[in-house]
Amino acid sequence: MKPERRGQAPDGSDRGGPGRDAVGEFETKLMRINVGPQHPSTHGVLRLVVDLDGERIARLTPQIGYLHTGFEKTMENRTYQQAVTYPNRMDYAHAFGHDLAYVLSAERLVGAKVPERAQRVRVLLTELNRMASHLLFLGTGILDMGALTLFFYTMRERERILQLFEMVAGVRMNYGYFRVGGLAYDLPEGFVEATRAFLDDFPKMVEQYATMFAKNDIFVSRTKGIGVIPPEVAIANGLTGPSLRASGVALDQRKAAPYSGYEDYDFDVPTGTAGDANARFMVRFAEFEQSSRICRQALERLEPGPIKDPDRRISLPPRSELETSMEAVIFHFKLVTEGFHPPRGEAYVATESARGELGYHLVSDGGSMPYRVKVRVPSLVNLQSLEAACVGGLFADMVVNIASIDPVMGDVDK
Amino acid sequence: MRAGAGDRAAARVAALTEALAPLGAERADELSGAILVLPREALSAAARTARDHGFDLLLDVFAIDWLAYPGHRGRRFSVSYHVHAVAANERCSLRVHLDDGDALPTVTGVWPAASFMEREVYDLFGVTFEGHPDLRKLVTPEDLEGHPLRKDFPLGESPTLFNDGRFLDPATFRAGMIGGSEGRTGWAGGARKGVLSAATAPDAKGGDA
Repeated sequence: MKPERRGQAPDGSDRGGPGRDAVGEFETKLMRINVGPQHPSTHGVLRLVVDLDGERIARLTPQIGYLHTGFEKTMENRTYQQAVTYPNRMDYAHAFGHDLAYVLSAERLVGAKVPERAQRVRVLLTELNRMASHLLFLGTGILDMGALTLFFYTMRERERILQLFEMVAGVRMNYGYFRVGGLAYDLPEGFVEATRAFLDDFPKMVEQYATMFAKNDIFVSRTKGIGVIPPEVAIANGLTGPSLRASGVALDQRKAAPYSGYEDYDFDVPTGTAGDANARFMVRFAEFEQSSRICRQALERLEPGPIKDPDRRISLPPRSELETSMEAVIFHFKLVTEGFHPPRGEAYVATESARGELGYHLVSDGGSMPYRVKVRVPSLVNLQSLEAACVGGLFADMVVNIASIDPVMGDVDK
Repeated sequence: MRAGAGDRAAARVAALTEALAPLGAERADELSGAILVLPREALSAAARTARDHGFDLLLDVFAIDWLAYPGHRGRRFSVSYHVHAVAANERCSLRVHLDDGDALPTVTGVWPAASFMEREVYDLFGVTFEGHPDLRKLVTPEDLEGHPLRKDFPLGESPTLFNDGRFLDPATFRAGMIGGSEGRTGWAGGARKGVLSAATAPDAKGGDA
């Protein structure tokens, strides 16, 4: 049978129907599509309202707030030490990063001096957590493109990191191990050896991942040139973290304004040039090596020593002192019942979380609870770049773009 | 730990301070870094000046409700614009003070990143931004009335009822700990959910009086 020409009536006459000749004369209507909030590729409860022009995205509006918990208000009604419970519940994938950002701001406010060992342990755990967070990102990101295998490998390695955290904090999520002025208690026995063993194995795993995805044709063709965010657009939209560095802007708070002793560590800041989804994947992938470098250096320099600020007005006195010293009992009682009172003022320490600049702006009114807590969460601000990355691209690439910007919805909604 | 962002060599910030002085800007630095306090009318011009001085990355816009701040005199809210100069690696905050009901001009024209941030301030504090392209609530549900991060927004906890009929209101209790109110059992009215007291029986609605 002779194939019919599109738009031609079966009898061969042109009835003026939609045909090849008419292309360009028709106006396409935008179609509005709702994605989420319960969709596996949105990595949580992210809802996107997408206006489609054919297969291409014309407009994209994120609708958020499904996970809004009011952490800021809650923290304003807890003492500084009690508030340690909440930061890690925001970005549950890089919880130690939030813990660190909060205690640094609180310490600047109260003027605590954190001992060397506590600083090293904090850096070590934060970097291990950054690796765990990037492993989750890599596994789920590639899962979104349809490759299931790598997910199991990255989850296997992440499991080992979570087991290390379980040794330290007793839990696999929501650690709350950092305290204002130091750490809750010292590292458990066997932790250093277990971490060393993990760090020795990890480079081999990273190599294995590289062969599994970095040169994979499907991965490359699905990410190269997709969702390009030029550096000036990224900065205008407030993008920070690995996603910004993928656009060629080497902004990393660990280098720009070192905190917690990061100035002593020898590490590089990987950047990309293309600003596309591929660069965003590869920058995070390159951060595995840098984070393990920092971890190894932290382990080498880990000397025995105190883990809390010895100032009795900030840290609890050791248990043994309570039996002999009345003064210690008084300090203990004051700290437990009402906590310490930082002087009036405001403090903000910018840190680099796995997603971008993270910081807690704390305002003290001289009381034992922060008067105002404002969390600068990277995921919320980074989400604004999603539209820039997606508009003009295919609908199917939107999933890749969401994955490559790596929002954690707890971090978005607070 | 006291040293930090404020101590960095800050040539750009100094230049910006000088450039904004004719607009009425004053420095009021805190441990969080340099803060430039501006009159409300000067905000739009100051934002453009800041961007022209290289402060191209808007990190955050946030409000503080000074209503319950002990000894605070002056306007109720302040809104801060935390900006970073990427090339020079410097940062500072622009801050304006305003009363309840005052509106601010939007800075989305200068820094598009302000879009979500201003929506967040609008949602949680009720500060409106004139000229914002899409000023809607950001995180709270549509049917929620009020602005939860204001200091007079009730926390919504149930007070504790003791056997002797005494109530303990959590908010008042905590305020009492920091010397913010008269005492720790200042509960006056309202009833715990499901429990009717004689004083409030006719129109008892629940715990959140």
